[in-house]
Amino acid sequence: MMSFHRVLHDERVWSFALVAPALVTVGLLFIYPLGFSAVSAFSAEEGGWTFANFIKAFDLYSNDILFTVVIVSLSTVLIGFFAIAIGGYLTLGENPYAVAILKWLYRWPLFIPFIVAAQLMRTFLAKNGLMNNLIVGSGLLEPMQTQSFLDWRGIVITFVWKQTPFVALLVAGAMASLDRSMIESARNLGASRIRILVEIILPQVRPTIVVGLILSFVVMMSVLSVPIMINAQTPTMLTVDMAFRINAYGDYGVANALGFISYLMTGVVAWIYLRQGVRQGAAP
Amino acid sequence: MTITSHAASVRFENVTKAYGAVVAVDRVSFTIEPGQLVTLLGPSGCGKTTTLRLIAGLEMATDGHIFIGENDVTKLPVTDRDVSMVFQSYALFPHMNVNENVGYGLKVSGMKKREAQERSQEALRLVGLSDLGERMPAALSGGQQQRVAVARALVLEPQVLLFDEPLSNLDAKLRRRVREEVREIQQNLGLTTVYVTHDQEEALAVSDRIVVMKNAAIAQEGTPRELYDHPANSFVADFIGDANIVEGTILGGGGETANVRIGCLEMELPCRSASAGPAKIAIRPEAIRLSAGDHGTGMRGTVRKATYLGNHLEYTIETEVGPLFVSDPHVEAPVAPGEIVGVQFEHRGVTLINDPSDDAERASESSPQ
Ligand SMILES: Nc1ncnc2c1ncn2[C@@H]1O[C@H](COP(=O)(O)OP(=O)(O)OP(=O)(O)O)[C@@H](O)[C@H]1O
Ligand SMILES: [Mg+2]
Repeated sequence: MMSFHRVLHDERVWSFALVAPALVTVGLLFIYPLGFSAVSAFSAEEGGWTFANFIKAFDLYSNDILFTVVIVSLSTVLIGFFAIAIGGYLTLGENPYAVAILKWLYRWPLFIPFIVAAQLMRTFLAKNGLMNNLIVGSGLLEPMQTQSFLDWRGIVITFVWKQTPFVALLVAGAMASLDRSMIESARNLGASRIRILVEIILPQVRPTIVVGLILSFVVMMSVLSVPIMINAQTPTMLTVDMAFRINAYGDYGVANALGFISYLMTGVVAWIYLRQGVRQGAAP
Repeated sequence: MTITSHAASVRFENVTKAYGAVVAVDRVSFTIEPGQLVTLLGPSGCGKTTTLRLIAGLEMATDGHIFIGENDVTKLPVTDRDVSMVFQSYALFPHMNVNENVGYGLKVSGMKKREAQERSQEALRLVGLSDLGERMPAALSGGQQQRVAVARALVLEPQVLLFDEPLSNLDAKLRRRVREEVREIQQNLGLTTVYVTHDQEEALAVSDRIVVMKNAAIAQEGTPRELYDHPANSFVADFIGDANIVEGTILGGGGETANVRIGCLEMELPCRSASAGPAKIAIRPEAIRLSAGDHGTGMRGTVRKATYLGNHLEYTIETEVGPLFVSDPHVEAPVAPGEIVGVQFEHRGVTLINDPSDDAERASESSPQ
């Protein structure tokens, strides 16, 4: 009885009990599949280790690898730009009505699934889609001059449209929690709004921006529906190639090799994320 | 390179600021002469901060005109006004070191880097922080942060310097020291300064003039001495120093004085245009003299409470004009509760309040304890 009580009061036992579910989840759902796909990426069909899957993956899909990196990186940059612009306007905007409207509007894409977003964009960006109809209707272009945006631009637009609200939400929250009088004192010292955004606000919310962008980078790396629906011709994104290898050929080796390459890319940004976390934790 | 001043006057003409239905500043007019330190004093919510923000341009007046020097700045945006503000929370930029904080306004104004650095150095020297230029704000004590905020405001050599309760985050000892330093810098540089506080002692200590505010309007304006010796209403009497507000009767008089009866005592008090009838009288706690033993003819009172406070005693005395709060320096001869004492009033400390709209009840309600 006594010792049971002691166990109950032992902090180490409790803290372990608290983190155990998280550890199990990470182990089962992350480490194990990751290890499994890594192992199978390096396994030959006849058994033994090989680089054949990677060689084939690079042979067939090096363009797509590059395409994926460029698309996701470009989207990340644009998302960062728009999220900062939205957060900045919400924090520094002068017109209270405009601020209220923006605040209400900007979050909507958050609640729309990727596949629906992609579907919306298909009808919006197609050659005879809503966007071109509007442009033609307003007399800016002749019907013959219109072009479809359902290529890499469509993917970028969809990603940016879908992910900006998420990052903007985090960033605007961080900006809102800054001391108002600090912004006012910068105004009092003569700084313009842009200057305050760049020199006073951004340096203080940078960790939040980085975290938001990394999370959306990882999400975009793993989205299949958007590239499939908007641009399934070559070059396309790795997620499409992986699905294709598996569905068309049952070729798990190359699919896993491509998956492993995606892991490496997200691994790099995850590393940046962790470093950011360590630096924040170490800050006084 | 020295920091000088471009002190200008500040003038409010019937300035009103309303937030929807809430009127934070109600038709306020005053003038602050160049080089003066004026405090805005009043209880919480009376509109002090709003008045200060109107001067800075952080709020725009709903009505009326604001002048800095000869210029009407009523519509001028905050960035274009030559006014520096020290915020209650100091509002330092946490990602910049002390030098960068102090030099930020100069950098924004486009000053050359070297010149800006020299000026910042000079401002830091003025507030006694020359050695801490490389420190980050988080690594400074509250008092040091406060000085950095002052240096950051001074360095721009503003026409007007504003302080919003600058000492409220400091402990009592430091508060006294810093307020003296602020006053010294202000006087040496001849800065026009508006200083918000709700601490009457602080206001008396640092000000050339005090504007007492109440419910979004000015209750009285004057030098510390004028306000203390001749409060215009019971609110000011009670807010600047303590005061017992009692009912009395004006028996008559002419010219500069009036004969006033307080209970069974009669006094001649300075007063302009008094008409006979009931009146309110403010009596300072230290203007009440107690004498032990029963004094046949004078006013008598019963000691209800006696508190020893080191250098003086505080009594509550029950008298025919109501309970009186008394501050008595004669600590060597305390009077015990229950005893009967004679009560007399010294002239300098008794004021006839001659304000028909005066309402003593409200005054004591809204003043801090
Ligand atoms: N942005 C605002 N919106 C609505 N009402 C406001 C706003 N700012 C101030 N007020 C109101 O205006 C009145 C005056 O406020 P102000 O901040 O000037 O008071 P204060 O004298 O500085 O008080 P304190 O000593 O507590 O700082 C208060 O009733 C306050 O609630
Ligand atoms: Mg205030």
